[in-house]
Amino acid sequence: MGVVHGDLMTLNIGPQHPSTHGVLRLKVKTDGEIISEVEPIIGYLHRCFEKHCENVSYEQVIPYTDRCDYIAAMNNNFGYAVTVEELMEIKVPERVEYIRVIVAELNRIASHLLALGAYGLDVGAFTPFLYMFRDRERILDLFETLCGARLLYNYIWVGGVSHDLPPGFIDAVYSFLDYFEPKIEEYNELLTYNKIFIERTGDVGVMPPEVAVSYGVTGPNLRGSGVKWDIRKNEPYSIYDKFDFDIPVGAGKMGTVGDCWDRYYVRMVEMKESVKITRQALKGIPTGDVHQALPKKIRPPQGSIYKRTESPRGDLAYYIVSDGSPIPYRLKMRSPAFTALSVLGEISQGWMMSDVLVILGSLDIVLGEIDR
Amino acid sequence: MSEDQDKFIADVVEKALQGDMDAINNIEDRVTRSKAKAALVKAKREAKAAATEDTSKSEESKTEESAPVVKSLSEKVAACLNEKFPNSLESEDVNGYIQMKDKNWFEIAQYLRYNLDFLFDSLQCVTGYDFGENEDLEVRYNLHSMTHNHAIEIRIKTDRNNPKVPSVEQVWRIGDWFERETYDMYGIEFEGHSNMTRILCPEDWAGWPLRKDYETQESYHGIVVPKVKDGWE
Amino acid sequence: MTVDQLINWLPFGTDWPVITFLTAVIICALPVFLFIAVYALVAIYGEVKISSFMADKVGPMGQGVGFHAGKWGLLQPVADALKLILKEDIIPAAADKKLFIMAPFVVFIGAFISFAALPFGQNTIIADMNIGIFYILAVGSLSVIGIILAGWSSNNKWSLYGGMRSVAQIVSYEIPAGLSIISIIMLTGTLSMQGINEFQQGTIWGILPNWIIFNNPFSFIAFFIFFISGVAECNRTPFDIPEAESELVAGAFTEYSGMRYAFFFLSEYAEMFVVSGVSVTAFLGGWNSPISGFFNSPGWGVFWFMGKTLSLVFVMIWFRWTFPRLRVDQLMSICWKVFLPFSLLNIFGVGIWILITG
Repeated sequence: MGVVHGDLMTLNIGPQHPSTHGVLRLKVKTDGEIISEVEPIIGYLHRCFEKHCENVSYEQVIPYTDRCDYIAAMNNNFGYAVTVEELMEIKVPERVEYIRVIVAELNRIASHLLALGAYGLDVGAFTPFLYMFRDRERILDLFETLCGARLLYNYIWVGGVSHDLPPGFIDAVYSFLDYFEPKIEEYNELLTYNKIFIERTGDVGVMPPEVAVSYGVTGPNLRGSGVKWDIRKNEPYSIYDKFDFDIPVGAGKMGTVGDCWDRYYVRMVEMKESVKITRQALKGIPTGDVHQALPKKIRPPQGSIYKRTESPRGDLAYYIVSDGSPIPYRLKMRSPAFTALSVLGEISQGWMMSDVLVILGSLDIVLGEIDR
Repeated sequence: MSEDQDKFIADVVEKALQGDMDAINNIEDRVTRSKAKAALVKAKREAKAAATEDTSKSEESKTEESAPVVKSLSEKVAACLNEKFPNSLESEDVNGYIQMKDKNWFEIAQYLRYNLDFLFDSLQCVTGYDFGENEDLEVRYNLHSMTHNHAIEIRIKTDRNNPKVPSVEQVWRIGDWFERETYDMYGIEFEGHSNMTRILCPEDWAGWPLRKDYETQESYHGIVVPKVKDGWE
Repeated sequence: MTVDQLINWLPFGTDWPVITFLTAVIICALPVFLFIAVYALVAIYGEVKISSFMADKVGPMGQGVGFHAGKWGLLQPVADALKLILKEDIIPAAADKKLFIMAPFVVFIGAFISFAALPFGQNTIIADMNIGIFYILAVGSLSVIGIILAGWSSNNKWSLYGGMRSVAQIVSYEIPAGLSIISIIMLTGTLSMQGINEFQQGTIWGILPNWIIFNNPFSFIAFFIFFISGVAECNRTPFDIPEAESELVAGAFTEYSGMRYAFFFLSEYAEMFVVSGVSVTAFLGGWNSPISGFFNSPGWGVFWFMGKTLSLVFVMIWFRWTFPRLRVDQLMSICWKVFLPFSLLNIFGVGIWILITG
């Protein structure tokens, strides 16, 4: 590529655009098809989550966490509940822990299905998207029998879960897992190993591990760069230390370590691991109560806590400061998608128009969580 | 009846404090159970308050960072910083976090980032904090090391009327957005930041939303902001 | 029925040449227009249904009594067309009005007049020109002017991107397409569509139909080059980067709505038919029956031609719902680095083949 540059054209991708995954605006400076600068502009979905939290009681925060990462609401509930419980130093009944793990892993599968399907759409493949949505629908149906909601569950509460498992739920999950596992191979055949797909994603948008760590990128994006880091393994919370599962990392199978294909493939393999965890949890689930006895109004003791959990997008952390009242004094959510988006400007420089959207898709962002 | 119940609760709480949580969990009556639970929490808090004389110190609860091994890490870091950068700590007393002065923060951050013993290569979170109306603001940094798998928390107080903290954007690249977010919400200016603008709120938004004395604008671009009712609970 | 016969048959004769000419044109053009409209409806319905079956869903379905999409959603394309006709026709304030209005028609004309030289059957051709195949290639690329007009006149960055990409793509892919046609012309020694068809009568060794695709290994390759280039010229996935809905919103057509948008749509489907028709004529025996002498009457010729052409259209639809999209530079490098050298080699190959086999 030569050094001669004409005037750069500024192009606004979004806030209304088919593949910005929400209301995101990318201010792009282009030289023809080549991108010289990408600046993500966020905040279109800002709903003052943190300010709201300073005005409602601890229990009332949970529906708000649903609405942050609306693709993986269970995991957000989970993270929040775990954090508050640790702040209050309470232990929940064992059955609750198992139920939480089951729904969180199912939600992880659902979230990854959406991420991968929408990624196929970004690259231009329509059919995989519909296949993945078909299967995601079955998970949503399961959740619907569980708590009546399909997207925003408000299911995992501090000290327990809102309802016990409905009759037949465990069998339904088993039959879903049996149905789902072979489907992963189908996706692989259809999309993952498609030559055009590999051409579009392999070697594109390489994120070296140092850059990823410096930008605070976590979750599948970080693992795609070859860093073996998963909160479920490295800092186990809940009962994740009881399960046997692997952490898939990117290996540069179709190009360089940390390219879009790696990030995509890590999610694909992670679904398999989630299936594994869910199976183990289903096997070991004990009977018992699903509510830990708690006062009507939760009053955590004075203090602060920073607790990380692994959401489908990475380290989801809550920083909660309690002043002993039933209302959080300060609640900060460290959202994984926020950090993942911040790296976009760095790794998409010099790529082409079409690649920017492919790289953006590979980061799997949810704007509800970025803007909060 | 009520006296009986109180006695019963006291009994159970006593047991629970000794580690027998089942005593509480096995109570059949819901109301009694929750009362017992509340009493337990209260008892624990009192026990804790008694343990630490200074009430302000009790603010730090037991987190993972304060587990025995890691707790000594904070102390180690504090001792190290005291040696390398004298006068940089607000207090040498380390209680799960390090209270620091804003002086030298950039150099200290670089030191923490690259020193082989600590290697805090990941800035996990930057949290703005408001102690209340007319009080100081604070920035809290949660650092984490991918290599050593340890974490510390660093707190830097700053004046409410002229909040300024050195930027660590150049040390951890994610500092860029985290600091912008903190600026957006608290008005804390990070000196040396390349693009200190609002990130979530619109550029022409007035006020710092997460400060405790924030008041909503009456109208924004002609859109009248509806009054928020008091007492949402 | 060719136009020449029609002109001779008309009563006005040579006394009023203008009236004779116009009547002949209208008599030919109306059925073609109707054919395109009906075919587009069928193709849209087919595309919707095929894509649905491929994606494990059922597509439009009519249910129960009442005003709905009909049995199996058969009325869906009619409803779509109706919606497009009734929609408000929006012309952006900053658009270059004249060009903006003109663009869809230019695109459509390119596809429309290509039909003049398509041999539907032994006698069913509008004009059997002696340069038929050359004519189709020439007017087929007219649509590129329409697309760049649309992209430019919309005064929208996305449209401009789409227009520029489209031009680069279509102009590039004309070359391998043209070169692979040259190898056919060398083989058959004629540019006339009917001539090419007649060349393909009979069998090879009594088993295979004497289609050009089976004639020699080089034309076998040429067929793939031509067909893939044709897909690229139609802007269909995996070469749909000018539209690329996930990147460019709708490319050159972003600002269009209602009837004008429908015209782009119509011409896309018409162009698919033309490309498939030319592939069929040039490589797959045109109106010749697959089994020599079997149902090879002029009437059946139309059936064979339509059958083969629609199968290729189906293949294009199949492509679209299976493949991801290529990137613009990959698209170009396939064209210039793979197709072009191969089609040049093909020409040599065919030349040597002709020399050897006589």
